[in-house]
Amino acid sequence: MTEVLLLGRRAVREIARYPEATIPALFIPLFFLAVNIGQVSETFPDTTPFLGGQGYVAFQLPVSLMFAVATASSGLALVTEIDQGYFDKLLAAPIRRSSIIFGRLAADLVRGVLGSTVVLLAGLALGAHMESGILGAVVLVVLSALFGVGYAGFGILVALRTRNVQATNTSFLLFFPLLFLTPNFVPFDRLTPLMEALARANPVSYVIVGLRSLVIDGWDLGKLAACTGVIVALCAVLTALSLRAIATYDR
Amino acid sequence: MDSTHTIEARALGRTFKGGVEAVRGIDLSVAGGEVFGFLGPNGAGKTTTVRMLCTLLPPTAGGASVAGVDVVADPAEVRRRIGVALQEIGLDPVQTGRELLELQCGLYGITGNDARARTSELLELLGLSDAADRRTKTYSGGMKRRLDLASALVHSPDVLFLDEPTTGLDPASRLTVWEEVRRIKGAGTTIFLTTQYLEEADQLCDRLAIIDAGRIVAEGTPERLKGEMGHDVVRLTLDGADARATEAAVGELPGLERVVTESDALALYLDDGAGSIAEIVRRLDRESIRVGAIAVSRPSLDDVFLQATGRRLEGAEDRQAEEAA
Repeated sequence: MTEVLLLGRRAVREIARYPEATIPALFIPLFFLAVNIGQVSETFPDTTPFLGGQGYVAFQLPVSLMFAVATASSGLALVTEIDQGYFDKLLAAPIRRSSIIFGRLAADLVRGVLGSTVVLLAGLALGAHMESGILGAVVLVVLSALFGVGYAGFGILVALRTRNVQATNTSFLLFFPLLFLTPNFVPFDRLTPLMEALARANPVSYVIVGLRSLVIDGWDLGKLAACTGVIVALCAVLTALSLRAIATYDR
Repeated sequence: MDSTHTIEARALGRTFKGGVEAVRGIDLSVAGGEVFGFLGPNGAGKTTTVRMLCTLLPPTAGGASVAGVDVVADPAEVRRRIGVALQEIGLDPVQTGRELLELQCGLYGITGNDARARTSELLELLGLSDAADRRTKTYSGGMKRRLDLASALVHSPDVLFLDEPTTGLDPASRLTVWEEVRRIKGAGTTIFLTTQYLEEADQLCDRLAIIDAGRIVAEGTPERLKGEMGHDVVRLTLDGADARATEAAVGELPGLERVVTESDALALYLDDGAGSIAEIVRRLDRESIRVGAIAVSRPSLDDVFLQATGRRLEGAEDRQAEEAA
């Protein structure tokens, strides 16, 4: 556990010392939030049934939160470490290889909490309010951050498997189709039948729906359970694959 | 496996995917407190051997023990007992020198005040105290190498692996690293050092092995290896003269131990180089052979390398760069 804390602290220090890596990653979700609201708030006024009396910002906020936390930062940091030789130094130390992964993921949790808090505050400033209250806001931030942790596992996996900076960097692009084949702009029942079928088959949809329910509906335990289930499964599968990749690295 | 030696390898080999045999069954015995050199050109298998001994890469043939512990059966225990400074300097550019060493202490179970004290001690010892609180990305090549060395020493390892510790360093920094290697040896640490520099092997190593194409082709103390070559070397630079005719002309020279053909020279290993010059000139003159130059020297490790592999190590880097260009 000490190893994870030490390596996690180092990774958090990295976030603080490289704001240029974090700030642009926050700019994109804030930009999408502002642009999307600006473009469709006339089309979907606050009387629109699926907005629950709120502005369109409430509907879009979860999508921006997911954009804010889904980064390949950890994967990029790891592949850079492999490239520069520090990774070998860690592998040659008498520590469990898994602690290198958990150290990175601990930093992703911190990064996710900070990023989603900033985006949430921006959303609140733009007029959204949390139907589930302050506790709901905390749950929203934590679930978003955990989604970021799960997603980070993908970047780490690509970094360990390819040892290639470009491949790790472009792994982020995989997120776009997964995010857009969802009810991100309108609910399921407003999508065309084909898009609705694809969105319903996409697990990311249930993360968006669950996070959105905290903003618009209050405490909808069914939606929250599905959202949490997808996030836990994502974390479990990608972390397990990352752990396997590091255990078999150069083996 | 015999644990009286700090490093033991028996038929150690590594074949990579695709069938590349990087290390082809090497045997090694390194005694405690010894500086053992592993000399060879790029691609000879030095780094692969070090990575196997450091447990970073499992062997595909044979076995090895380090500090009496089998590298395959108990890699974690091996890692506790060794320090590693690999060819790629393993530093995190985001951290300061002090943070990096304190983290390294933590990874070896040294925490709190002990870690801070050990870090300060090593920074002082390696002349990095003034730069301790700067990020390592601002360090010069020599400073990075010293910090890397310090990070390999935090836990006072029994065995220290140094993989080409001076490659890319300026002469002054190289000397500083040499001094540090001598100091570490003085403390009783066994050092396994790979290098492609003959002078480094000659200066630092108690014993050395020459590796070429994954095989050990010579092993012994630098003095013994050079002594086996004969007393003197007379190098005839051919400058267009026929190598076979030249060799035939000097072939029966008194005191001649061996002749080694190089790309544009013949190296004659003789009992008395200076005393043989006149006779060499007479014989070449008799056969009307004109050579470019004749030089006498003592055998070097490069001569040992030449004898063992049929080519020179010295200047191999330059030749590789020229070929690449």
